[in-house]
Amino acid sequence: MTHEELEESVPLYAAGALDRSERQALEAHLLSGCVSCHAALKEFQSVAALLPLALSPITPPPSLKATIMAERNPASIPAEAATHEPVKQSLEPGEWMNHLFPPVAPAQSSSLPWALGFATFLVVAVGGYVAWSVSTERSVTTSNIQQLEASLKETSTKFANLQREAGDQAKALAELRNELQQRTDETAETKEQLTQREAELEEIRVQLSQRGNTRTVETPQDELATLLRIPNAKTVSLAGSDMAKQAAGFLLYDSRTQKVWLYSVNLPESPAGTTYQLWAIHDKPVSIGTFNMDSGKAAHLLVKKAPSFVDAKTFAVSLEPSGGRPQPTGQIYLLSQS
Amino acid sequence: MDTPSPHATSIIDPTLLARVVKGDQQAFSQLYDYSSTLLFTLAVRMLGNREEAAELLQDVYLEVWRKVSRYDVGRGTPIAWMITLTKSRAIDRLRARASRGYRATNSLEGGMATQVADPAPSPLETQADQELRTAIGAAVAGLPQSQQQAIELAYYEGLSHTEIATRLNQPLGTVKTRIKLGMSKLRESLQQWGHQGELQ
Repeated sequence: MTHEELEESVPLYAAGALDRSERQALEAHLLSGCVSCHAALKEFQSVAALLPLALSPITPPPSLKATIMAERNPASIPAEAATHEPVKQSLEPGEWMNHLFPPVAPAQSSSLPWALGFATFLVVAVGGYVAWSVSTERSVTTSNIQQLEASLKETSTKFANLQREAGDQAKALAELRNELQQRTDETAETKEQLTQREAELEEIRVQLSQRGNTRTVETPQDELATLLRIPNAKTVSLAGSDMAKQAAGFLLYDSRTQKVWLYSVNLPESPAGTTYQLWAIHDKPVSIGTFNMDSGKAAHLLVKKAPSFVDAKTFAVSLEPSGGRPQPTGQIYLLSQS
Repeated sequence: MDTPSPHATSIIDPTLLARVVKGDQQAFSQLYDYSSTLLFTLAVRMLGNREEAAELLQDVYLEVWRKVSRYDVGRGTPIAWMITLTKSRAIDRLRARASRGYRATNSLEGGMATQVADPAPSPLETQADQELRTAIGAAVAGLPQSQQQAIELAYYEGLSHTEIATRLNQPLGTVKTRIKLGMSKLRESLQQWGHQGELQ
């Protein structure tokens, strides 16, 4: 509720018309020290306390006084009555607000009581303030204790929660550690696999490059270049025989891949029905391959899978009938010089 | 009965209560004389019958006797304290009744304002009491009937504004406004009366 709403409820409070919850809300507001509401309440309470005076007086039955005086048990006057002065003990909390009443002129004054005069409210205000302070202090202390208790409870709950959270976090941490260990193991394994793969890849690369060498048949220059890059490839020079003194050639071969590449110049055109045949000679000649010379002065022969001629020292090219012969039968045209 | 004293009901001297605290029978007797008519009137108005009002007053005076040491002058006049005690005990009885399904008949004995134009003064009343009574009667009588009724239901029957709205079949806001306006007018009237009194 806003201050305005609470202030509006003051006259209703004085008349006794508020619901319990509204009454409590206003009392809490008053205890919070709202001066204007407090002042308004005092005025309205003064009015409310006077209302019964507006009723037509009804005299109680005469017997009532005797009954009351007789019923009154002096023994029931408690120890609290032993004090000599009216002790300024408080009424029940909350009830005090119902007691605000304008103080009246002293008994000996026979003049009109100015009790209801506005100025006399000040006297009540002073007394009321003392009572207000005591009551407020007590309420404040009580509410402080309640607040402390509440906050203690809250703190305990928070602590328990924190402990639980800490436990959860430790558990989570252990899980994470396990997971990390697992990941580390996996990583090591992966690394090993990677090394293996790299090795395999290297092997494949080598194989590919070897296949690549093979594949470049279409382009003799590439094939020649590849063969030239092989460190162990052997080179053999061939010179023309008496049959073709102008002719020359050279031969490249790699015993590992069994590739042979022959390049020749100035060989005479091979007549129809004949072919040149290259031989590797160790103990006996072994045919490496055949080739023709049509026109032009240069020719080359590539043999991808030549018969083994590891130990061959001499190479020769002879002119043979078409298709070649198992053994050289015609004239030698080129002969290795070593 | 004790000899009437010049004390007015509205101006019971707090020292009288101090004497009651000390167990002074005479003082208690005086206190009764000064206050019983007003409290009985209030009780009859609230409870609607004299028998129950008499019972109530027995309870109230017994409580006064027992609790007098707890009376705090700083919190109001003695009579205001006793009015509050009477009101709350009467409301207790009204609520107990309501829970038993009792139908209230108390409105038969008149409204909040003095019904008789000029009631004969009680032998115990002083001039001060009479003037005060007249002023308050006039202030209440000056209120519109609807405002009087709403305040009366709250004050004498202990009904909340919600209960009053239901009883009168009126919107809650209307009931609240009636009580607020009525109480404010009463306050103004009594303040004016107080100031005039001061000027005399």
